[in-house]
Amino acid sequence: MPNTKTPPSTAPVIVLKDLRKRFGIGESEHYAIDGIDLTIQKGEFIAIMGPSGCGKTTLLNILGLLDSKIEGEYELEERSVASLSSRRQANIRSQQIGFIFQSFNLITRLSVIENVALPLIYKGVSQTTRLKQASAILHTFHLGEREYYMPYQLSGGQTQRVAIARALVNDPSIILADEPTGNLDSHASHIIMEELSDLHKRGNTIIMVTHNPRLTTYASRVITMLDGKIDTDTGAPKKAEDPNKKKPLNKTSKKRKNRKKKATKA
Amino acid sequence: MRFLTINHIQNAQQSLRSNRMRSTLTMLGITIGVASITTILALSGGAGKIVGDQVDALGGNIAVVRPGTQSETNLQDITQFPSAQHFAASTLTENDLRAIQNVPHVKALTPLMILSGAVKASSNAPVNTAIVAASPDLATISGLEVQDGTFLDPELSPYTAIIGPQLSIDIFGTEQSIGKTVTVRGQAFTVIGILKRQNNPINYNGVDFDNSVVISREAGRALNDGASQIQQINIQSDSISNLNNVIVDVNKVLLKNHLGEGDFVVLSGEQIAQPTNRLFMAIAGTTTAIAAISLLVGGIGIMNIMLVSVAERTREIGVRKALGASNYDIVSQFLIESLSLSIGGGVSGYIIGYLLAFGVSTFLPFNPIFTWEIAAVAVGLSIIIGTLFGLYPAIRAAQKDPIDALRQYD
Repeated sequence: MPNTKTPPSTAPVIVLKDLRKRFGIGESEHYAIDGIDLTIQKGEFIAIMGPSGCGKTTLLNILGLLDSKIEGEYELEERSVASLSSRRQANIRSQQIGFIFQSFNLITRLSVIENVALPLIYKGVSQTTRLKQASAILHTFHLGEREYYMPYQLSGGQTQRVAIARALVNDPSIILADEPTGNLDSHASHIIMEELSDLHKRGNTIIMVTHNPRLTTYASRVITMLDGKIDTDTGAPKKAEDPNKKKPLNKTSKKRKNRKKKATKA
Repeated sequence: MRFLTINHIQNAQQSLRSNRMRSTLTMLGITIGVASITTILALSGGAGKIVGDQVDALGGNIAVVRPGTQSETNLQDITQFPSAQHFAASTLTENDLRAIQNVPHVKALTPLMILSGAVKASSNAPVNTAIVAASPDLATISGLEVQDGTFLDPELSPYTAIIGPQLSIDIFGTEQSIGKTVTVRGQAFTVIGILKRQNNPINYNGVDFDNSVVISREAGRALNDGASQIQQINIQSDSISNLNNVIVDVNKVLLKNHLGEGDFVVLSGEQIAQPTNRLFMAIAGTTTAIAAISLLVGGIGIMNIMLVSVAERTREIGVRKALGASNYDIVSQFLIESLSLSIGGGVSGYIIGYLLAFGVSTFLPFNPIFTWEIAAVAVGLSIIIGTLFGLYPAIRAAQKDPIDALRQYD
């Protein structure tokens, strides 16, 4: 799935300036996101780590324009999100953003191929074209034979591959994954991560929330969050420049883990 | 946009099919409502048509003068049975009759004086037997024929009567009753003629001639304390082209006679048919009220089911929004679903309504009619109800916060 969109390489895809998200009012008021400054370049594979309740998912929802009640600045491809109407935001979700959920979130009433074709509906693609595109992408995920299965007839790994296929079917430039391997065993996880890293190599921007430190080896940049703030960020722009050199081998992974452990201890 | 609508329709089909039982029960309310409305409209249309056809069959040159104002077919009229007040309140007089007689191009005319009272011979006649006092012209204007004997004849004694064939059987036990004596309100009449069977209880005279006694005006007046109570004046013009002139002239002379009060109506053609059968109107009114309630309840049922459906599919709404559905998309998805429920109910109601109408019409002297208006009313009503009661659930669905929606059942 080659990415045809080529925005100027200098312009960041996502810019966050002092982003805050408040929940509750009065005494129970607290900030789930408490002042985040973040710049994400095109083609980065970012893993966001952190303990439960540190605001990872909230951040992801904000990035995916599902949550627009925010304070601070969020610029998506140099447009301030606050200025966009809800219809325009839906349009951006439809054209530019692909969501992958931990719990897959396939619509159980619909068959695999219909689920995958779902985002194309809101793009205004005709039914025949929709099914063709969905079928094509399912084949690239080796799910061609499962097209007319219902979601409950698939294994967890297959389901998540369907969900990824759905997230990619309208060729989004940004992929947001919320613990994509959270419900999978290690073998299935590995397959899913290989798929994601493949996408990354093709030039997609991927932002992934995860609990599993091993998965950060696939990422080009690791951000850890704590209490709504960014704790550590390996975000040296260098790493983003040559994503093709990444090799998710165990050796590298251990090394990097050690390095990261040191970093967090220090 | 077009693809989206088609997709919503497919989607609605699928979701309704997956809850077949629930969808069918929800549709039932609308089905009953639309079915009863269709039945009423088809039958009352048929009743109206039969009278119109009679007028046409009689040459189409007939006008009718009735007491009261034009607004007779209002709600009050529907809810009230034709009461004594209706018969007593005639504003037409013998004077009017004489005035109309002098209008040019009037070929024939007859007043209709419809009395009620006991009709007896060897056995009692049914209570609702009509006693009609009229002129001999009634035979030509209303196309009455005698199968036996003769019609009213001014040369004969006023105490002679022509009776309907069914009445003859009811009170004499035979259709051969010429020369026998029938007692009307205690007054003895000699039967001089038996009408030909018409099988036509609904006509513009409002009288079932198969089942009535026709007597002369003089006798009618005598039975009624010497006063005339003219419920209707039937006028026949000498040709169809002159009918309009006659109507205008009759209106003029009557208005003059009534000192400028428009307490009468001159009707022709289809207008005659309208208030013909007041009892039928009363039944239709009641059924319409029931149908309206059924439609209301059906609408509430749709709203209820749609709210349940929205609640069940909260997560789906969240997913769809995350995948790029706008609020408008969600609203149309659920609105189309409620519309398919109501239109499905409406269409099956229309079909059941006609089945019912044909079933009922085997007991009635007329057939239901098919017009595009009835279909339009059935579909129109369903669309209105589907939109009205589907809008709120659809808007609620669209307003769901995608994050909360996705979090449900986690």
